[in-house]
Amino acid sequence: MSYYFCIVGTQDQPLFELEFGTSKQGGDGIARFSQEARHMNPFIVHSSLDFVDELQWTNNQMYLKRVDQFASSHISTFLTPTSTRFMLLHLPHPPNTSPQSTPSPNSFPPFTPYTSTPASTTTASRSSSSSSTSIPNNPTSPQTEEAIRAFFGEVFEVWMKAIMSPFASVEGKLGSLVFRQRVVAAGRKYL
Amino acid sequence: MPSSSDHEYGSPSEVPEPQPPEHTLRSPRDSPSSSIPEFDTPISPPSFGTKTTLSSSETRLPITPPASSISKSRSPSGLRTQSRDRSSASSRDASPSIPLNDSNQEYRQTIVRSFAPRVAVYASPDTEEFVRQKGFDRGLYGLLRPYGERLQARVIIRDSVGVSKGWDDFGVRFIDAQELQRSSTRQVEGGATDQETWSLSNGSQNLSEHRNQSRSDEDGAIIDRLLNHHLHTEDATIDGHKGDYFDYDGRSYEPRPAGSPLYPFYLRKLLSSAPIVPYETFSHPVACMITVSSRHPAPIEALRQLYANTGHGFNKTPAWVGTEYLRYYVLIHDEENDDITKSTALFDLMKRHFGLHCHLLRLRSSQCVQTDDDSTRVPSSEWLSADEEMNQIRSKDYTDDIENSEKYILESDATAIRALLREMVAQSIVPFMESRVMTWNDQVASRRRGISGRFMSLSKRWTGFGSNKGGASGSGGASNASGSNYDYQRGFYPPETPEATMRQLGDYAFMLRDWRLAHSTYDFLRTDFSHDKAWSYHAAVNEMVAITSLLMPQTYNSKYKLETIDQMLDTAAYSYLTRCSMPFSVVRCFTLAIELLKDRGTLAADDAARWGGKLLEFGVLDPIAQALISERIAECYMSRASVNVPNAGTRRRQAALWSILSADSWMRLDNPAQARLRLTEASALYRLKDQQNAGPPFPSMQAFWQKLDHALREADGPQSLVDTGVGDGHLEFSTTEETEQLSAFTRPMSAEVIDTEGFTPQDACRPTPDAGYDMPLQSDGFE
Repeated sequence: MSYYFCIVGTQDQPLFELEFGTSKQGGDGIARFSQEARHMNPFIVHSSLDFVDELQWTNNQMYLKRVDQFASSHISTFLTPTSTRFMLLHLPHPPNTSPQSTPSPNSFPPFTPYTSTPASTTTASRSSSSSSTSIPNNPTSPQTEEAIRAFFGEVFEVWMKAIMSPFASVEGKLGSLVFRQRVVAAGRKYL
Repeated sequence: MPSSSDHEYGSPSEVPEPQPPEHTLRSPRDSPSSSIPEFDTPISPPSFGTKTTLSSSETRLPITPPASSISKSRSPSGLRTQSRDRSSASSRDASPSIPLNDSNQEYRQTIVRSFAPRVAVYASPDTEEFVRQKGFDRGLYGLLRPYGERLQARVIIRDSVGVSKGWDDFGVRFIDAQELQRSSTRQVEGGATDQETWSLSNGSQNLSEHRNQSRSDEDGAIIDRLLNHHLHTEDATIDGHKGDYFDYDGRSYEPRPAGSPLYPFYLRKLLSSAPIVPYETFSHPVACMITVSSRHPAPIEALRQLYANTGHGFNKTPAWVGTEYLRYYVLIHDEENDDITKSTALFDLMKRHFGLHCHLLRLRSSQCVQTDDDSTRVPSSEWLSADEEMNQIRSKDYTDDIENSEKYILESDATAIRALLREMVAQSIVPFMESRVMTWNDQVASRRRGISGRFMSLSKRWTGFGSNKGGASGSGGASNASGSNYDYQRGFYPPETPEATMRQLGDYAFMLRDWRLAHSTYDFLRTDFSHDKAWSYHAAVNEMVAITSLLMPQTYNSKYKLETIDQMLDTAAYSYLTRCSMPFSVVRCFTLAIELLKDRGTLAADDAARWGGKLLEFGVLDPIAQALISERIAECYMSRASVNVPNAGTRRRQAALWSILSADSWMRLDNPAQARLRLTEASALYRLKDQQNAGPPFPSMQAFWQKLDHALREADGPQSLVDTGVGDGHLEFSTTEETEQLSAFTRPMSAEVIDTEGFTPQDACRPTPDAGYDMPLQSDGFE
């Protein structure tokens, strides 16, 4: 599983961006997005803000769980009290290997590098992966959901400390190296 | 009927107000002068066994005494008596096809119109020669076809509840009889001959599915090539057709300024390229037109000979097409060479032999050129399949003959043909279909729907007992050991089985636009097909359940409905793709669903976009179709207005994403003009809210954005330097570029937007030229 984590301010501006890979199942924590996917990720995360904006009025939790899906990428969201949004894009693939790209003439370009299995949940046969409940393989499982919740919880704590600094503002970029290290550590710990 | 031409048909565009009965098409039946020949009991030729029963059931319709009031009873006798009052009842109904300005309504109309009854044309050799002499190489079929698509008359259809509605856009599609025969031989040549397939055990089903697949792949590829052709020649070709496309009621189609003009074209081609298949009967003939000319020495014998061709047999209609369709007999009289009195006598003889479904068509034999006095251009055929259009373009390219592409006929001939078609549709085809629907609904469907029918099908399924009792017409030897009527060896239901009949009932109801009946019929069939493991049937019927429930008015309020439709579409897609591997059908199914869902309002537009995304994920689309569909998804999201909370519920950002994606697809297809349009659209969407934000909202989007931008500039080449204002897209783009720079300049520098890593907003919007596509994200400080 590869992750793209982004903290988005109230004006839809990114305050913090980070790519990392899974550390579970012997993963080395390096993101393995293809070049194509890497360029699309911000677009996808930005577009799913539409759903976050709609969900925040109906859901009174801070953790909004999985809000959107684009091809094989799933987007989970955590909403802070100041309407700053933590967006996590996760792309399932086996640890330490790049997602297989099966180029076929009829596949739509941004979908090409992603689709190791057909992405549709109901029409695809999901029996191919042996450990379908483990975090790196199944983004819709409750285990993954809980892991992301824990990750978001830890990041929320760190983020609070960061913005409590008298020199930082809620809408400002989070450039602190310590903050980055803490987020990376949280990712290594839970995801 | 000669008297029918005396009536004045109301112009279709002015229909919403109630009209006096004599303006409607059904009127000739009510006028005493024209109804006299109808009361003649037809003398059926003794040799036609099936025909006799068929025609006698049809002729019952006009003979019944007129009822004075409309009864709303469901009984067949009650319905039958209403046929005489139809014209008066119709005057009270508002027209369902009120001119609508919304472009999406146009798509809906396109979809509805595409499912038109098919009429097979069987013409004697002398007729073909006669028509060819007039300058129509493709024979009578080619001559009639464009007129059948535009009847230019109001057709009144009564649904199963007895409510009449007038439709202005009703039409029929003519198919070549040879096309039918070809599809039967195609069926045969792929696997084995008929006898062999009987003896083949399993595996031949796979073969037939294989054939379906290759055929449908072909279809998609042809559409793609056609689109490509239109893209690369110029858009003028499509524009030229556009006037023709919607002019059946005098309006011409105006595309949305933002939408690509190619998409309606694509939808049309997709719908008209559906192959003739066993598992749905839309492409099966509802009627056939048996034609002979007055030149023939023995016309009655010729008609009989042609009639014999319409049945089953070697090199005739395929075994899975039911043969109980309407036969319509036409005598073409040559105005210039033959004697009208002789022809009239012959026509009377015909009527005596073949019943009322006869018509005398008076045409002149000489070829018409543009300079003739009262010549009119033959309209271009609107529902050409992609294959045919491709051939047409090819032949046009080779021959370089401009006169050949535009055909002219005399005004009088055109009027005669129109009169023939109006009469055929209004007095023969529609009543025939209505009576079929009624009979089947009574005899087959209600029996299956009732409690005993359910019990019967259950007992049949579990005990293999009573398989023939469930069928109304007796399935003969078609049933097999498992007790179902599905013919596993050949992969279809024989047309006499109740399942096939019900499917046909549903399709007839669909073509008559009685969505409710069609929906309930299809819905009922779903379980049957899945029990029989007839997967292609199963997929098709699921598709149609979803589509009919989307076409039905005012049933969409509940969330529950949405979910059932989702489930149907999902099942249909799974059956089509995984079980039958028919990608073309999935494309059609989802495209229809997207259009109809989009029509349903804000909540459903989201769904439409979701299905579009799924369709792209399947990887079954051809490159141009991918670009068009992603454009369409963007439009689906754009159509979502904000619901109650401002700024919540809009899908601006989603629309922007899909616009970018389609711009990217167009770039891959090397089509900068379209890409530029989409990119302009996307940049407008990204800047909708915060005016002072110049670049894309995320700085990390910059690389991709720049790449597209660069590619566009390179595609422009020297033109961008000279800047002669080549196109609108280019101009628009340059203006947005200017506003970008302007807003970047005037943008206030606030303390909080300064990047601590030295990434200023000015850098974001005006990057150095070497900030190209391949610059990895890590350079921004990523791990």
